Amino acid sequence: MSPQLSTPSKVPFFRDIRTLKWALQILALLAVFAMFYWLYGNYQENVAKSSIQTDLRFLDNPANFTIPGNDLDQSQPVRDAFVEGFLNTLRVAFIGIALATILGTLIGIARLSKNFMVRTLGTVYVELVRNLPLLLLLTFMNLAVVLQAFPRIENAWLPLDLFVVSNRGIAIPWFIGSPAQLGIGILSAALLAFVVAKIRIRQADKTGKQDRAWLVGIATFVFLVVLIWLLFGYGWELPYVDGRGTTGGLRLDPSFFALVASLVIYTSSHIAEIVRGSILAVSRGQGEAADAIALSGSQKMRLIILPQAFRIAMPALGNQYLNLIKNSSLGATISYFELTQIAQITVGNGSPAVPAFSLTLLVYLAISLVTSLVVNFFNRRLALVER
Amino acid sequence: MKSKSLSVLAVASAAGLFLAGCASTEAETTTPAATQTTTTTTTEAAGSMLDSVIAAGSVRCGTRDALPGFAVLNDSGEHVGFDSDFCRVIAAAVLGDANAVEMIDLETADRFTALQSGAIDVLVRNTTWTATRDGSEGANFLQPTFYDGQGMMVASDSGYSKISAMDGAIICVAKGTTTEGNAALESSRLGLNWEIRSFDETDLILEAFLAGQCDGWSSDVSQLTGLRSAYPNGSDALTILPEVFSKEPLAPAVLDGDTAWAQAVNWAILATIQAEEFGITSANVDSIRDTTTDVGILRFLGAEVPGSDGAAVLDPNLSLPTDFAYQVVKQVGNYGEIFARHLTPLGLDRGLNSLWNDGGILYAPPYR
Repeated sequence: MSPQLSTPSKVPFFRDIRTLKWALQILALLAVFAMFYWLYGNYQENVAKSSIQTDLRFLDNPANFTIPGNDLDQSQPVRDAFVEGFLNTLRVAFIGIALATILGTLIGIARLSKNFMVRTLGTVYVELVRNLPLLLLLTFMNLAVVLQAFPRIENAWLPLDLFVVSNRGIAIPWFIGSPAQLGIGILSAALLAFVVAKIRIRQADKTGKQDRAWLVGIATFVFLVVLIWLLFGYGWELPYVDGRGTTGGLRLDPSFFALVASLVIYTSSHIAEIVRGSILAVSRGQGEAADAIALSGSQKMRLIILPQAFRIAMPALGNQYLNLIKNSSLGATISYFELTQIAQITVGNGSPAVPAFSLTLLVYLAISLVTSLVVNFFNRRLALVER
Repeated sequence: MKSKSLSVLAVASAAGLFLAGCASTEAETTTPAATQTTTTTTTEAAGSMLDSVIAAGSVRCGTRDALPGFAVLNDSGEHVGFDSDFCRVIAAAVLGDANAVEMIDLETADRFTALQSGAIDVLVRNTTWTATRDGSEGANFLQPTFYDGQGMMVASDSGYSKISAMDGAIICVAKGTTTEGNAALESSRLGLNWEIRSFDETDLILEAFLAGQCDGWSSDVSQLTGLRSAYPNGSDALTILPEVFSKEPLAPAVLDGDTAWAQAVNWAILATIQAEEFGITSANVDSIRDTTTDVGILRFLGAEVPGSDGAAVLDPNLSLPTDFAYQVVKQVGNYGEIFARHLTPLGLDRGLNSLWNDGGILYAPPYR
């Protein structure tokens, strides 16, 4: 009996797995194209029916509205209003990201604490905040906290006589003089301090002697700032209640405060979990090694654990930063004049909706992509080089 | 393999977006001219909104739900108010049934998008007729239902007695309205440095106002009157300052380029004004139609007018039923009745909104 060997006949092309895979992908591609074509066709048809503008000429029309805390004139073009909205979005994003990172890291560490009280508080915070819708948190922060829990301007809180806190905003002491000049001064001082610290670190590495390089750097920075201060003659200005508003200092918009506070509280609960996970992901041996060479608790965290944890956390943190930036658009619901609010106002006042919102969309996309780029850059710098 | 197919998809959708972008820039340069020539033909081809309303058997009316006097929800969830009644006027004229209305509540900032997208047939929502809205929002404004002006409301204990005294005040307004622009203009005209805050909804302004975040609440005087009457701390806690600093003709709007539908809506509203001028009310419309010999009134009510070659009913070819005015007055009432029903209780005077022969500017073209 000879074994019956059936020679495998050629698989027909319509059952060839490679053909099928290609066909599926081409079908998907066609479906996507068809959808866009259909949507665009509808848009064109509707536009033709109702003579709505489709270009960006509306940017040159007068804005016809003003922005709180800003001297945008109502006769300036819509373009300028959009720029102001963009800057306000950036303000919220920068301050929000910085504060959320600090708060999130602290809470993340707290959740790993050996102290029962600290650990439980951390857990309660994370579980409470993480499970709330952000819009609700923001509405609560605005209607319940800022409007009702903050005092009216007539009986404003004056902590230390330095601040004026009321439901019309928080005024803080601020310097008098050109902000650009001071910014350049602080930036150059920071740069110089950084260089000094780097040199000290290099020396310490060479000689092997303990050196408080960063402390020296900070001292240099403070010294330089004070020097610039004295040289250019800047002064503080304290805010005070003046009738039904405040004069002097820097006034933070109440909706700005509500927005930043909500975004920071919300995002920090997510960052805390990322930080906690990343710390746990650092190999146990690292901590034991730190104990073995008798580093203190804070030294162990600061020098050994956190630098490695942040390397792990970086990509996830980047996502949270993007979320925070995009979520800042919710400020429109509480009258914070960021990009979305500006777009809504201009559309309500006669700017065409499709180009105005398309423009807004592209600006958010650009901000997010730039943020991604920066995060990826740091991620590459921090990532372990694997060979 | 999976990741590869995903990336192919991603590239495809990116390409789709890119192509859509290219096409739109291309279209932008050609659209203005193209629009002018195609507007009428497109509409004719697509058919009038009037036909689709008749086919659907109800009018989709863009309105709101929280403005006392103009449109609020009553205990049984029905829309009640001046604007709501004009929605019913349109339904009564076009469909012969004042209740054949679907009220669609819109946010202030979304109202024109709703109109442009065809989500509503007509917008009757305290909307000021301005040149820019007429020109660039694709809206076709019709006979104003209410001639209004912007004013300022303050807390009675605030000590403000006139607008020019409100230096450095925080003024709260509704977002996406002409109010923002008028307030900004008034502030710069009088050199008052107002801080103008815009909110999505009147409820939010109310919260801010109650908490003392706003010094002034600026809006059309009619709106302020309605809001004042419903203020939680009693209407005496608020004062509307005497100055009025803008012209606000509140008019219904339909989508541009649909003449038949625009005419139908326009004449439905004009009928309420003409009925008041004739002295026809919902109570006496039947008896007047049966007894009058006035040819003008008979024509207006769509009754048979005796003529040399037999009785005839006037049909002005408005694509409306010939008895539309009768239905409007019978089912909803004339302009004066609607005003008295909703706005007089708020303490609003007829003022500019009186008939032309009574010191106002309401004037309907002759129906013949």
